[in-house]
Amino acid sequence: MFSPREFSRPAVRRAWIAALLGPLPEQRFEELTRELFAWQMARVPAFRRLCAGHGVTPDTLRSWREIPAMPQVLFKRATLYAHGERTPGAVYETSGTTTGEPGRQRLLSTDIYEAVCVAGARRIGLFADAPELHFIASPPRLAPHSSLSAMFGFWNRAAEAGRGKFWMGAADFALLRDRLVTARCPVALAGTAFGFVHFLDFLGERRLALPRGSWLLETGGFKGRSREIPKPELYAALTRTFGVADRAIWNEYGMSELSSQAYARGHAGLHQTPPWARVLIVDPATGREVAPGREGLVRWIDLANVDSVLALQTLDRAVRTATGFRLLGRLPRTEPRGCSLGADDLLATR
Amino acid sequence: MTTTRERIDLLARAFPQLFPRPELVRLVRTQLGHISALDNWIERKGVRVRARAPRTIHHICAGNLSISAITSIAHGLIVGSRNTVKLPSPREDATTRREIIAFVQALPKSLRVLVELQSERDDAALQEAEVIIAFGNDATMTALRAKVRGDQRFIAHGHAVSLLWIDDADRLTSRQARACAVDVLTYDQMGCLSSQAIYFSKPADVMRLGGRIALALEQTRQTMEAKPARPLGVRARIAEARDVAQALGHAVWLPPARHLGWTVIHDPDPTFVPSPLHGVIYLRASRPGSLTRDLAGVRGKISTVGVTGSKLEPQVRQAFLDLGVSRFCGAGQMQFPPLGWHHDGRASLGELVTWIDDERPHGL
Repeated sequence: MFSPREFSRPAVRRAWIAALLGPLPEQRFEELTRELFAWQMARVPAFRRLCAGHGVTPDTLRSWREIPAMPQVLFKRATLYAHGERTPGAVYETSGTTTGEPGRQRLLSTDIYEAVCVAGARRIGLFADAPELHFIASPPRLAPHSSLSAMFGFWNRAAEAGRGKFWMGAADFALLRDRLVTARCPVALAGTAFGFVHFLDFLGERRLALPRGSWLLETGGFKGRSREIPKPELYAALTRTFGVADRAIWNEYGMSELSSQAYARGHAGLHQTPPWARVLIVDPATGREVAPGREGLVRWIDLANVDSVLALQTLDRAVRTATGFRLLGRLPRTEPRGCSLGADDLLATR
Repeated sequence: MTTTRERIDLLARAFPQLFPRPELVRLVRTQLGHISALDNWIERKGVRVRARAPRTIHHICAGNLSISAITSIAHGLIVGSRNTVKLPSPREDATTRREIIAFVQALPKSLRVLVELQSERDDAALQEAEVIIAFGNDATMTALRAKVRGDQRFIAHGHAVSLLWIDDADRLTSRQARACAVDVLTYDQMGCLSSQAIYFSKPADVMRLGGRIALALEQTRQTMEAKPARPLGVRARIAEARDVAQALGHAVWLPPARHLGWTVIHDPDPTFVPSPLHGVIYLRASRPGSLTRDLAGVRGKISTVGVTGSKLEPQVRQAFLDLGVSRFCGAGQMQFPPLGWHHDGRASLGELVTWIDDERPHGL
């Protein structure tokens, strides 16, 4: 039986960060997962009810792989927060495209999120060449409920103490273009796939040969398409326009409901998680992992997601591989229903 | 050139279960006034009239269910029109498309020649048709309507939902519960006649009601033909519905070994929310006085209300009428309307034909 620590205490959180960023062999990962699972189950009623429905308790849990995962949509319908009445230090909102209501990820403090965001990026070498960072996104102070802006802000703080710059949409594109044209040291350009598409539209046929060692990072492109541009075409356009290799383009796969991110390199790259987070590709009917090479849904176990729930079930399709997973895109929001009215249709009529 | 009676005979011989001859004859007589109204002049209130069928009907089928498309094609054949049929696009589950093709291939030759199947959207066929019958979502209907000329008739079967009403849940019999189960499980809830929710009148013992419905669903499922393995998207929606309900603390009834055949969820919120289908049925309590509020989101889109028992309280009936319901039936019959039913309130054959009047005195 575990005696879970109290994750509201700053010292405990610092120790947890150290544990996550330290060596994490399988047994240690299992121990930490059980500890966080027991703590969250005791504090998040919806998670407790979900686990009860699956007949899983800390005492009966055999492996971290059996932890019931919270459907992502629950962040829109319930408060998933492990600190009761304590005021969250940050609230990140998801898009409200599915139900019209945004989901909310409440963090007691951004300390753990910041630590793993930065460590995750460092692990894959994003800051190795000390690039000049540019973000096609709103800065955190203007988008306090955007987890993406927050992450970019953390990166900016971690890499060369705030040398980076945020560029917000079309109004800033001319300035960004001029800045990139004159760059002499490696630059990094990060933003949503959608933001990149807009920037490409703005640049038209203009080519910007970025200095050697530069990289691009797009996120949100995992859905397979950004606007009308399939991912291979987007990456081809990025390599052509910015003069970088396909391997110098990263995809970040994360979401507001999580604290950790997975990364893939190049348009066909496999996604890999940091040691403190795992992704299982599961059959939703059984909750068990599919065999390698088979398609299933992405399920996250994120030890950095201390303040809400560590296990998240997404509707993102992926193929399990020996060394990671290949994202295929999100399930359509509804199956073909023809004349039968669905939730999306109902919303559309309002 | 065949007569209406000959076409009915051909259709009924080929599909005696689906299209029984007496029902087809009754359908024509009821909606056109006479079995030969398309073939001869008939007398109607002192005026000789004759029905004229459209030369071509263009049917645009939805991907969820074949029965609507098959019935629509059958109506076109009964009136003797040429029928161009835009099949649903191939999808992960192509059952609907296959079933429509199989129906057409099984038609007697003299009827089959009146049907042309199309895999791709064909604007020329759309333009050529006198009547366009379309099934699908409201967005599709809006897009199609913009393409239709003023001299074409456009019969749109857009979004609709159906539901069951249980007036006295505590006295629900096993037979009635099984009738509800038939309505839920037939066609895997994929049609607009499929019950997406069971509304029951308060007060009632919800746990008892849920248990009865769950038992009936399992018993009924075992009598039905085994379904092919559910695709990933369907498995995901069912699992999500179950997990969401459990996390929210709603009562959930699951089948043995958690198979995916059916799921019963009691949602304490009476507001109608569409089901993810595929056997997921929501129990919602309401009162006659609050039904119109609880179902306001689907006002004008409720096709069928299946009712357990023979009585429907006047206040409940009025509430459903105010909501625009176009059909009441007994539980267990939701998916099996008679051939002459008014789909979306319309006369299926009557809307296809036009009439020629001859007002001259007889013998002139």
